[in-house]
Amino acid sequence: MHSIEIKHTTRQIIALTKSNMMSRYRKTIAGFLWVVLNPIIMYAVQSFVFRKLLKIEVPNYSLFLLCGLLPWIFITMTMDMVTPILDLSSDLLKSFKMNPVVLVLSQILDNFFNFLFAFFIVLIPTWIIMGGEWKGVFFLPLILFSLVVTTAAVCWLLATLQVFYKDVKFVVSFLLSILFFLTPIFYPVDYVPENYRFLVSLNPIYALIEPFRFSIYDFNLSLLLKGLAKSYFVMITTTIISYFYWRKKKNEFYLSL
Amino acid sequence: MNSTSASNKILEISNLDLVFNSHVYKEKSLRQSFVDQFKNPLGLLQRNTNSLHVLKGVSLSLNQGDRLGVLGCNGSGKTTLCRVISGMLGPTKGQVKLDGHCRAIFNTAIGILPQLTGRENAQLLSVLMFPELEKKEREELVEEAIEFSELGDFIDTPFVHYSKGMQSRLSLSIISARVSDLLILDEVFDGADMFFREKITKRILDLIEKSGATILVSHNLDQIRLACNKVLVLADGRKWFLGDIEEGIKLYSSLG
Repeated sequence: MHSIEIKHTTRQIIALTKSNMMSRYRKTIAGFLWVVLNPIIMYAVQSFVFRKLLKIEVPNYSLFLLCGLLPWIFITMTMDMVTPILDLSSDLLKSFKMNPVVLVLSQILDNFFNFLFAFFIVLIPTWIIMGGEWKGVFFLPLILFSLVVTTAAVCWLLATLQVFYKDVKFVVSFLLSILFFLTPIFYPVDYVPENYRFLVSLNPIYALIEPFRFSIYDFNLSLLLKGLAKSYFVMITTTIISYFYWRKKKNEFYLSL
Repeated sequence: MNSTSASNKILEISNLDLVFNSHVYKEKSLRQSFVDQFKNPLGLLQRNTNSLHVLKGVSLSLNQGDRLGVLGCNGSGKTTLCRVISGMLGPTKGQVKLDGHCRAIFNTAIGILPQLTGRENAQLLSVLMFPELEKKEREELVEEAIEFSELGDFIDTPFVHYSKGMQSRLSLSIISARVSDLLILDEVFDGADMFFREKITKRILDLIEKSGATILVSHNLDQIRLACNKVLVLADGRKWFLGDIEEGIKLYSSLG
C-alpha cells in the first residue's frame, strides 16, 4: 500500500467511524451515556454476584474485576459486531471500489473509543481511589496497542470467514459465551486447578487481558513483561494468519458476497 | 460524441485470464465443509481441479478520449472484467497496466448508514468515493450534488425512508460529480425515475466526455451509440469483437 493510499484509507476510516458513532446513538434517550452505562451495569451486577453471593475472596475486587471486564467487553462486543459486517455490507462493497478494511476498522475504532471512554471514566478513578501502583500506567499504551491490533486481526479474519461460511457468527457467539466462564475475568487464575491451568495459557483472549491486571491491579514488572511478550506473540500470529487468509481469498471474497 | 482517440495510453490489458474454483459458487455451510472433509480426508491435500474460466485471454488498450461500450450476454464476463480493471479482483494470468486513477461504479442506489439523513449519507459517500478531495472541495461537491438531486427538504430526513428512486437520485448525483482518468460505469443509467433520467443522462454523458477514458457496460444499445466511440463484445469470457460500434452491435445482436 502506498502512502497516498494509506492517507485516503485513513480518511475513509475516520469519516465512517464518526458516522457510525452518530448513527449508533441517534434517537436513543441516553445517547452517548450508553457507552459508560453498559460497562457500569455489567460491572455492578457481576461485582454483586461474585463478591456478595459467590463470596470470591480477592483484595480490591472492584479494581480486579474492572481490569478484566472492560477489555473483555471491548473484545467480545467488537467480535460480535464486526463478524457479520462484510457479509451485511455486500451491496456497498460491490457498488464501487472500497477497501473492505475500512468497514472493519471503523467499527473497531468506534468500539475502541467507547472502551477508552469507559476506561478513563470508570477504571482510572477506581484505580486512584484504591491507590494503585503508578509505574504500571507507563505500560498502558503498549498494552492497548496489542489489544486493539489483535482484536482487529481476529475480527478481520472472522468477518472474511463469515462471507464464506454463514455459521461463523453463531459459532463466535456460542464460543464467547463459553469463554466468559473459562477465562479468568471474574475469578483469579489461581482458582484454576494446576493441571487445567495450561488451558488458560492457551486462551488468546486472556493473553490480552492479563497485562492489564499486572499493570493496573497488581503491578509486577517481570510478570507484566512476560504477559506483554505473550500478547505481542498473539498479535503477530493473528495478524499474519489474517493477512495471508485475506490474500488467498480476495478474489473469491467478491464472488461470495 | 464519436471523436477520434488521442494517443495517451490510459489502460493496457494483455492476455488476461481469470479462473475461479467452482466451489466458490456453491453455498456451503461449515457443517457441509466438515462433512466433505470427513468423506474425503485427503481432499485438503489435493488440488481442486474444478474451475471456472471466467475471462480467457482478453487483451485491449484504451487511450485518452476512448469511450468503450461493453456488450455481452449475461455471464459473459463484462462485470468481472471491470472489477479486474478496477483492482477489486486480481487476474490469474496476464497484466493490467493503468496510468492514472480509476473510478468504477457498479450500483447506483448506495446507502451506507440508513439511520442517518440523506445529507449525512451523501457526505459519507463523498469521502468513501473521493477520498483524495480536501474538506472544502468535498463540501462544495456534496452541496452541488444535493442541489442537482432535487430532493428538497427530504435531504434532511433519514435515508431509511427514501424510496429506491430517491436513493438512486442522491447516489447518482454524487457519483457523477467528479471526473476521473478512467471511468467505469456498469449499468448506471438504471434506477432513477423517468423525469430524473433525462437530467442525469445528460450529466453522465458530460462526465464521460470530460473523463480521460470510459468503459460503459450496458444492455441499452442507444446509450452505447450515444456515449461510446468503440465497442467490445464479450462472449463466454473471450474478446469476440473490438472496434466499430455498429459492427459490434450487429455481432452482439446475432449472439442471441
